[in-house]
Amino acid sequence: MIVFLQSLISGILIGGVYALIGIGLTIIFGVMRVINFAHGDILMVGMYLTYNLFTLLGMDPFLSIVVSIPLMFLFGAFLQKVFINRMLGALPQNQILLTIGLGLIMSNTMMLTYTSDYKILTTDYSSSSFNLWGISISTPLAISFLITVAITVMLYWFLMKTDTGQAIRATAQDREAAQLMGINVKWMSILAFGLGAALAGTAGALISPTYYIFPQIGGTFTLKAFVITVLGGMGSIIGATLGGIIIGVAESLGAVYISSGWKDVVVFVLFLLVLLFKPAGLMGKSRM
Amino acid sequence: MKTILSPLKNPAGVSPVTSAMALAVLAALFLFPSFVESPYALHIMILLFLSTIQGEAWNIIGGYAGQYSVGHAAYFGAGAYTTMILMQSRQIPPWYGMIAGIIVALIVSLIIGAICFRLRGPYFVLASIAVAEIMRLAAMNLKELTNGAEGILTTEVPVFRIGETVITDFLTKVPFYYIGLTIALLTILATWLVQHSKLGYYLQAIREDQDAANSLGINLSIYKSTALAISAAFTSLAGSFYAIYIGFIDPPTVLALDISVQIVLICIIGGIGTIWGPVVGSLVLVPLSEALRSNLIAQVIFKAGLASEESGTGIFLKEHLAHAHALIYGILVVVVILFMPDGVLGWVKKLSAGKGRG
Amino acid sequence: MAPILEIRNVSKFFGGLAANSDVSFTMEAGMIMGLIGPNGAGKTTLFNCITGYYPPSRGEVLFKGQSLNGLEPDKVCRLGMVRTWQKVRPLAKLSVLDNVMVGALCRTSSLKVAREIAMEQLRVVNMENKASFVAGGLPIGERKKLEVARALATQPELLLLDEVMGGLNPAESEEIIQLILAIKKGGTVTQMVIEHDMKAIMRISDRIVVLTSGEKLAEGTPEEIVNNPEVVRAYLGDFHA
Repeated sequence: MIVFLQSLISGILIGGVYALIGIGLTIIFGVMRVINFAHGDILMVGMYLTYNLFTLLGMDPFLSIVVSIPLMFLFGAFLQKVFINRMLGALPQNQILLTIGLGLIMSNTMMLTYTSDYKILTTDYSSSSFNLWGISISTPLAISFLITVAITVMLYWFLMKTDTGQAIRATAQDREAAQLMGINVKWMSILAFGLGAALAGTAGALISPTYYIFPQIGGTFTLKAFVITVLGGMGSIIGATLGGIIIGVAESLGAVYISSGWKDVVVFVLFLLVLLFKPAGLMGKSRM
Repeated sequence: MKTILSPLKNPAGVSPVTSAMALAVLAALFLFPSFVESPYALHIMILLFLSTIQGEAWNIIGGYAGQYSVGHAAYFGAGAYTTMILMQSRQIPPWYGMIAGIIVALIVSLIIGAICFRLRGPYFVLASIAVAEIMRLAAMNLKELTNGAEGILTTEVPVFRIGETVITDFLTKVPFYYIGLTIALLTILATWLVQHSKLGYYLQAIREDQDAANSLGINLSIYKSTALAISAAFTSLAGSFYAIYIGFIDPPTVLALDISVQIVLICIIGGIGTIWGPVVGSLVLVPLSEALRSNLIAQVIFKAGLASEESGTGIFLKEHLAHAHALIYGILVVVVILFMPDGVLGWVKKLSAGKGRG
Repeated sequence: MAPILEIRNVSKFFGGLAANSDVSFTMEAGMIMGLIGPNGAGKTTLFNCITGYYPPSRGEVLFKGQSLNGLEPDKVCRLGMVRTWQKVRPLAKLSVLDNVMVGALCRTSSLKVAREIAMEQLRVVNMENKASFVAGGLPIGERKKLEVARALATQPELLLLDEVMGGLNPAESEEIIQLILAIKKGGTVTQMVIEHDMKAIMRISDRIVVLTSGEKLAEGTPEEIVNNPEVVRAYLGDFHA
C-alpha cells in the first residue's frame, strides 16, 4: 500500500510539471492551430539554460526561473516571428514538418555545443526527501510541484482576468471574430508561442535537478506533451492540467508495477486508447 | 491563362525521346556492376536504391493521400526485425522472412488506420509517431526476442538456390545491387500504377479536400487504409533488404524517429506527390549524408582554403561535421518547407513555367 | 409514385442552438425546389443533415423511400444524391478534367470511361476547352461551374445546389440559371437550390420552402410565397415579383 501511495504521490508531483508542458502546447495549438513539434526541444533548451545559470553563475535552479522565464519567452517569440509566422496559412502537415525541423536544429546544435554526454545538475537537496505520514517524498519534486501550482494559478488569473489574457482566449476561440473585434491576432500568436515556450522552459528548469540533461531528451517530452494535450482536449488548459497529472500517475505506476523500460509504452498506449475511444479528450473541443 | 498539365494527366503517352532516354538509363543501371568494380560505388548505389524505395513508398500515403506519417520507421523496423529474427532463430531464409515482415507491417498499418482514419485533424501524424516509438521501446525491452539494445547480427545469409543451381551466395555486393535495383523499380512501378488508377485519383482528391472527396462518393477510411497498407508493405521490404545487406540492426538504426524524418525528407526535398520526387530527393540526400559521414565536406573546405585544417574552426569541423547530418537534415527541412514546399521538382517546374511565359 | 425526398421533422442542435427546428417537406422527382431564407436560417445546415455530413439530431430523411439517417456522405452519393458547396471546394492541384473525373469515378472504375463522362459534363457547362487548366487557378465563376460539372458526373438523381450563384456577375448567373433549367429538362435529375437571388429563384423553382431561424416558415408555389405576408415581413421586404 505504501508503495502504491508513494508511486501515486510522485506521479502527481511529476504530473504537475507535465501539466506545465501540456498547457504550453495547448495554448500554442489553441491560439495558432499549430502543432509544435519542437516543444520538447524548447524544454531541453530551458534545461541547458538552467544548467548554465547554475554552473556559471551559481544560481539555484528553482530561483533561476525568474531569469529563464523571460528569456524563454523571448526565444519563443523569436521562433514565432522568424519561422512559424510564415507558415500560418500553410497546410498543417507542413507546419508540423517545420517545427520538426526546428526541433532537430535545436537538439543537434546543443549536441554539437555540449556533446551528448549526460550532464547532471546536483544541488544539495537534489536527492533529499522528507517524510509525510510515512510516505517518502522527494524534496525537489515537491518544490517543483508547488512552483507549478503557483505558476498555473498565475496563468489562470492572467487568462481570465486581464485584457490581454482574454484577448488570447478570444483568438483561440475564433480567430476571425477576434480580429473583427479589433484584437491584433499577429501579436496574439507571438504571445501564445512565447508563453508556450516560457512554460516549456520553466518545466525544463524545474526538472533539471532530478533528470539527466542531454540534447536528445526533448523528443520523449514532445510526445508526452501531445499525449497530455490530446487526453485533455486540444486547446483546453484545464484539460492539459488534468492530463498532465493523469500521465504522471500512469507513468509512475507503470514504472513500479510493470517496469521502468516499459513506462513510456504505457503512455503511448494510453494515447492510442484515447484516440480510439475519446479523441476529443476529457474536455472536448477548444475552449480555453 | 497558362495551362499546366496536372500530374495525373498522361493519356497521350510518353514521347519517343523520353522513352529512349529511359531505356538507356535502365540499361546503364543494369550494366553498372559489370563496368564498375568498386565496392564503395556499389554501396552508394545500393543506398540510393534503398532511399528511393523508402521515399516512393512514403509518397503513396504522404504525397498522394496527403496523410503525413512521421512514423514510417515502424514498418521499416518491422521488416528488418521480422526478417532477422526468423533468420537467426529459425534459419528461415530472408526471401520468406521478407514476406512475413510485410505481413507484420500490414497488421501495424491496419491498426493505426483503424484508430486514426476516422478522425479529423493531426491525429494520424501523432499516432504514427507513437506507434513507431512503441515498437522501438518494445524492441529494446523484449530482449528474449530481439536482443534488446544489443541488436541482431547476422552470421551469414543462406545461399540462394533454385533447384540445384546456386544463384548467389551473397558474398559480394553485386547481388544486393540487383536486388535493390529490382525492388526500387518495383516500387516506382507500383507508384505509377497507383497514380494512373482510380485509387490514385481518389487519394489525391482526399488530399486536396477530404470533405469534398467524401461528398463525391469516396470512402475516406478505406482508401486511406489501402494507401497506408501499400506504403507499409514496400517500406517493410526496404527494411528487410537493409537488414540483410548491412547484416546488423538495433533499435536506433531501424526504429528511431530519425529514420522516419529522413524518409519524409527524401520526399519533400524531391517533390511531394510526384513519381520522380523521391528519386531526386535520394540523389540529394544520399551523397550529402555520405559526404558528411566520410568527412568529404571538411576536406573540400580545407582544400578550397576556406578554413585551415589546423585552426580552431578546422578542428571543430573535422571532429563534428561527421555527426552533423541530423543538424543538416533539420536545416534542410526548415529551408525546404519555408522556401521550396514543392521540393526541387516543384521549384524547377516553377522556373520553367516562368521561362515559358511571353 | 413515392416522393424522391422526404424531410420529416428534421431538427439539428449545436449545443443549445437549434440550427434546424422540426423541418418537414417532400419533393417529387424531376422538380426544382427553391430553399430560401435569411442568412443563418439553417439552409446549409439542412443540406449537411440531408447528405450525411452530420446526422440530424431528430427526425428522418428518406431518399427514394429509404431512410438515410446515419449514412456517411460517400454512401449517400452512391445512392444518387450529391451536393455543391456554398464556399466552392475545387480539388485545387488537380486539373479541371481530373476534378470532374473524380466525380465520374463514382460510377465506374475505368479511367477511360470516367474521362469520357467528364468531358461530356464539361461540355454541358461549356468548359471543355479548359480541361487541362489547374482548378486552383480558375476564377470564381468557372469554379462554380466546375463544381456543378463534377457533381453531375456522379450521375445523381438529386442535386443539391448551395448558393451556386453567389459572387457571380449577371452573365455568369444567367449561365447557371440556363444550366439548371437544362438539367430539369433532361428529366433525370431533381434539384434543390439554395439561393439569395430572388429573381432567379422565382424563375426556376416549381415550389419554394422558406426557412427562418431554423424553422420552416412557409411552403408553396413562387406566387404563393411572394404574396405571403409573413414571408415578406421576415425575408422578402420590398421584393416584388
